Amino acid sequence: MSLIDRYIAEVGRHLPEKDRSDIEAEIRSTLEDMVEERRHHATKSTDDEIIAETLEQLGDPQLLASKYTPLKRYLIGPGWYDVYLKTLQRVLLTVLPIFAAVTFILTLTENPLDFINAVGEAVGGAFNVGLQILFWMTIVFVFLERSDEVPNMPKGADTRAWTVAQLPKLPKKRQIRVAETVLNIVSILFVLIWIALPFTLARLQGNPVSVPFLHPNLWNLWLPLFFVILGLTLILEVFKLKIGNWTPALMATNVILSLISIIYIAALAITQDLVNPNFLAMLDNAAGSSELREVVAWTIDISAAVIAGTYVWSIVDSVRKSRRLSK
Amino acid sequence: MENDELVQNMVLELRRGILSIAVLSQLSREQYGYSLLKALSDQGLEIDQSTLYPLLRRLESQGLLQSDWRIADESRPRRYYVISTQGKAVLTKLKREWSAMVETMKQMLS
Repeated sequence: MSLIDRYIAEVGRHLPEKDRSDIEAEIRSTLEDMVEERRHHATKSTDDEIIAETLEQLGDPQLLASKYTPLKRYLIGPGWYDVYLKTLQRVLLTVLPIFAAVTFILTLTENPLDFINAVGEAVGGAFNVGLQILFWMTIVFVFLERSDEVPNMPKGADTRAWTVAQLPKLPKKRQIRVAETVLNIVSILFVLIWIALPFTLARLQGNPVSVPFLHPNLWNLWLPLFFVILGLTLILEVFKLKIGNWTPALMATNVILSLISIIYIAALAITQDLVNPNFLAMLDNAAGSSELREVVAWTIDISAAVIAGTYVWSIVDSVRKSRRLSK
Repeated sequence: MENDELVQNMVLELRRGILSIAVLSQLSREQYGYSLLKALSDQGLEIDQSTLYPLLRRLESQGLLQSDWRIADESRPRRYYVISTQGKAVLTKLKREWSAMVETMKQMLS
């Protein structure tokens, strides 16, 4: 009988405590009925073979046990799944860029020249933080799934009859995507910090450990102006986020601010030396020639052109969408 | 070949739907698991054993069946199931639904 004992023990192992002995007894009695039946019909097989055949007919003990206890065989069910995905998405999109930006800046203030290292730290750190968030968020939702609260599921018979009045209004369509403005805001903050921090640190320490990238003369007029423009842009982005559509006022503000920015960038790139001469000298020392200096100059020209280009595009885009909105 | 599998799955689904009615209908006289299985299969309804026994317990927990352990006839103790009063009421309604469904399907398929 040891095969039967082993089979029943295996079923019992997967059953909840309170029903276990009862179900085990029932399966045993059924098995005995089945074996007896087989003995009458098949004369040539040995007892062990008959038992083995019977057990195989009843099938995988774990499967049998699972039919007695419809346990949840999933981590997060359909009731929570959408909420889970949406929350995860929102948290990751908020936390990761900020984390990456802060890491980048902090690493850069330690080693002002080491962009690659800073990018690596930022990306690697964000990846790790992302994994942590994913893990803990999943754990939380697994527990929620096993609590009795289930949102977004069709309610039982106890609710009042559904009427069309309960239909939610169609969500307003946004012309300006949330992700886009959030990204812009984060970038602006990041640029502000990146420019302001090394100088502030240098001034606080009195005796600068690192060589600032930007030309010190810029602080007289151009950088304060830059901060003003960037500040205004920041405010504009916040309004874009709040309003969501290219209303006439928003479009006009965007056009004016973009034009100012283009003029500023062009004037800055053409008339001013942007980079700290000490920094350039350091590059020359490092390279043994003026090659790096030229790379820096080119990079600045191209960046200025690209940035001016995005402002032009922003003007065109906002005017076009604003017209579409008024139709 | 693909169709065969599809058909088989659909037949399984159909059968799963009628199992409860079939089981309730056969338990006006008390039966133990294995005898019920044979009674059903004698009348042409083959049920997987690993489906039938859990189903019996579920119907009992819903109050449609009653059961007790007993030693009948010869030797071993067995669990005997029989339909309850509530089960009879439910079965009457189910029978009515079933006839209506069969009528509908007949018309649709003719």
